[in-house]
Amino acid sequence: MCMELQLGLALPGSDTWSRPLLKLGLYEDINVNRKKRGFDHGYLEDEFSAASFKNYEKGLVGWPPVETWRRKKLRCQVHNHMTAAENGYCGGRASNSSYVKVKMEGVVIARKIDISIHQSFETLTTTIMTMFDIFEENRRSFKLTYQDKEGDWLIAEDVPWRTFVRSLKCLKLIRSRG
Amino acid sequence: MLKKMAFSFPDEVLEHVFSFIQSDKDRNAVSMVCKSWYEIERWCRRKVFVGNCYAVSPRMVIRRFPEFRSIELKGKPHFADFNLVPDGWGGYVFPWIAEMAGAYPWLEEIRLKRMVVTDESLELIAKSFKNFKVLVLSSCEGFSTDGLAAIAASCKNLKELDLRDCEVDDLSAHWLSHFPETYTSLVSLNISCLGSDEASFSALERLVRRCTNLKTLRLNRAVPLDKIANILRHAPQLVEFGTGTYTADVRPDVYSDLAGVFSSCKELKSLSGFWDVIPDYLPAIYPVCSKLTSLNLSYATIQSPDLIKLVSHCPNLQRLLVLDYIEDSGLEVLASSCKDLQELRVFPSDPFGAEPNVSLTEQGLVAVSLGCPKLQSVLYFCRRMSNEALVTIARSRPNFTRFRLCIIEPKTADYLTLEPLDVGFGAIVQYCKDLRRLSLSGLLTDRVFEYIGTYAKKLEMLSVAFAGDSDLGLHHVLSGCESLRKLEIRDCPFGDKALLANAAKLETMRSLWMSSCAVSFAACKLLGQKMPRLNVEVIDERGPPDSRPENCPVDKLYIYRSIAGPRFDMPPFVWTMDEDSGLRLS
Repeated sequence: MCMELQLGLALPGSDTWSRPLLKLGLYEDINVNRKKRGFDHGYLEDEFSAASFKNYEKGLVGWPPVETWRRKKLRCQVHNHMTAAENGYCGGRASNSSYVKVKMEGVVIARKIDISIHQSFETLTTTIMTMFDIFEENRRSFKLTYQDKEGDWLIAEDVPWRTFVRSLKCLKLIRSRG
Repeated sequence: MLKKMAFSFPDEVLEHVFSFIQSDKDRNAVSMVCKSWYEIERWCRRKVFVGNCYAVSPRMVIRRFPEFRSIELKGKPHFADFNLVPDGWGGYVFPWIAEMAGAYPWLEEIRLKRMVVTDESLELIAKSFKNFKVLVLSSCEGFSTDGLAAIAASCKNLKELDLRDCEVDDLSAHWLSHFPETYTSLVSLNISCLGSDEASFSALERLVRRCTNLKTLRLNRAVPLDKIANILRHAPQLVEFGTGTYTADVRPDVYSDLAGVFSSCKELKSLSGFWDVIPDYLPAIYPVCSKLTSLNLSYATIQSPDLIKLVSHCPNLQRLLVLDYIEDSGLEVLASSCKDLQELRVFPSDPFGAEPNVSLTEQGLVAVSLGCPKLQSVLYFCRRMSNEALVTIARSRPNFTRFRLCIIEPKTADYLTLEPLDVGFGAIVQYCKDLRRLSLSGLLTDRVFEYIGTYAKKLEMLSVAFAGDSDLGLHHVLSGCESLRKLEIRDCPFGDKALLANAAKLETMRSLWMSSCAVSFAACKLLGQKMPRLNVEVIDERGPPDSRPENCPVDKLYIYRSIAGPRFDMPPFVWTMDEDSGLRLS
């Protein structure tokens, strides 16, 4: 592609400069530049290949350009019409994941739950019980416990919801004793 | 004889004439007419605007304008909103407050954007300015509710406290109780960004009840739906209202309470909030919809049918912020119902998803552009676009002043022809002669920049990402866009050549941001050495730029004009290139 432009290289009304700092020989350079970008870093080449642009794989910082505070506010909401876990707003490495590991006493395989779509212990417990196929009659014999940032194991409903969510690291369903 | 008359105007007359001139630009023009006008103007300027807090020092401002009452300051570059500016970069307001505290006990208004505000700063404001009236903090951070408590307790004449999208350390909701019982002058309160902890409802209610001049109230998410009725009952004079959480068990008494109280708000023109909204409670606001001019539903995760119903009730809407749940079908209804629409922002509900989760395409934007004759400002996130659509949009809506399009996947081509979107954006700049702000996206070559440089003569702000082929692109913009003030670029193959060839242009602009581009450390040094009135700052978290070869590209580059010289409050990952050694460590 040839640029049919008159490249006037005089700087607009500049007192200090009568000629540019670097002469711009663009006609010759443009085709050369296409092939040889002149970067020392290979990484820049890769960045510009379309395949590497999938946001959800690479997690580009700051893209798409949605403000951080907007993302946060939207993330912590009940998604009425979306299925839980799958379509949470919090993908991409730019945001903190709100997925938390859930284990059940006696069950080898752990599950994951999206904490940001819950706003009460009730819905959380119900969801977890359902996840582990615990029938309603049996639910009373289980207790939901959690490990906080300090590593201590506590009973979930003993603290206010907000405190719980803030310090939550992972969850465990245990059989209540006595 | 005529000459004598011109110089014999008493100062007071000129001052009186100047008092009708409010705009910054005009005031600046007035001050450049002659020395005596400069002198008179500087003594009577009451509002100062500093677009870049590092372009000038507080002392310089105070020296030139000895009697201002209102100041507006902006700090971090715009891309800080998207996490591209590392924490600790700068933008501290404290030095400004400290200088003004000494010089201006009569300061009344402070407006800050993207600045770091500490509790210490807030306490100093509360202590120093006896007639303080307006505090607007937009996208600021660094303070807690303790600082707010200080403001509440001391500023007896406070009229406006507006915390827009700030990051606030929510230590206690009881800061609201620090407004004395005798305090009644509040006109505008925006606490929508505060945390979701239990708010002090009774303090809030009492405050609203006694501030009978309250016109704007934007609540935070912690205020539950059933409390809103109590609050609104005491403030039927509100013009702008932001709800808290808009969800509750569906109960007829709560609903009728709410609907009743909204009906009594005859002045309401603007609504926002709507977190966690459930559709059942939406009809409660129908009584006010016909008067609404501004509606912010950008947090409302409801489906298109409910959005359509709502929007159809608002024929006088001028400004709409909404999620892409509105879909093309909803935008078509918007286009036919809201003929006064001036500004539309459509945000993505699932920006990181691989596949589209809603049926929102370029068609929605086309519909609104064709149907809304007053539309002039658009921010639109979508997943596909065509040149054909852009040309249609440009032709039908030449009155655009702000056009920001974000096609979510970088380098997405025209979905019909698989070509770049150069021609489409070219049409936008060609037809929209008053375009002041433009954001590009999609697959774009140097050609689009040729169009921009040729046609976008009024363009003041341009945002570019993943576009262009070579330095020619950047050269077109820097050499062609006469009104350009702010340019921000990320992930584009622009390097040294265009930057150095257009160095002088940078002094005519407020700032240039370039990240993940191809500008070498050597070029940064050269620019810093040769252009003393530019601050050339290299931001690189990998380590000192001189630990790598000179021709290595820098990670991020922020260049801005300044008469204050290089700053000294930089964190370890920011280096200023200046005339001394080409490298200055903080």
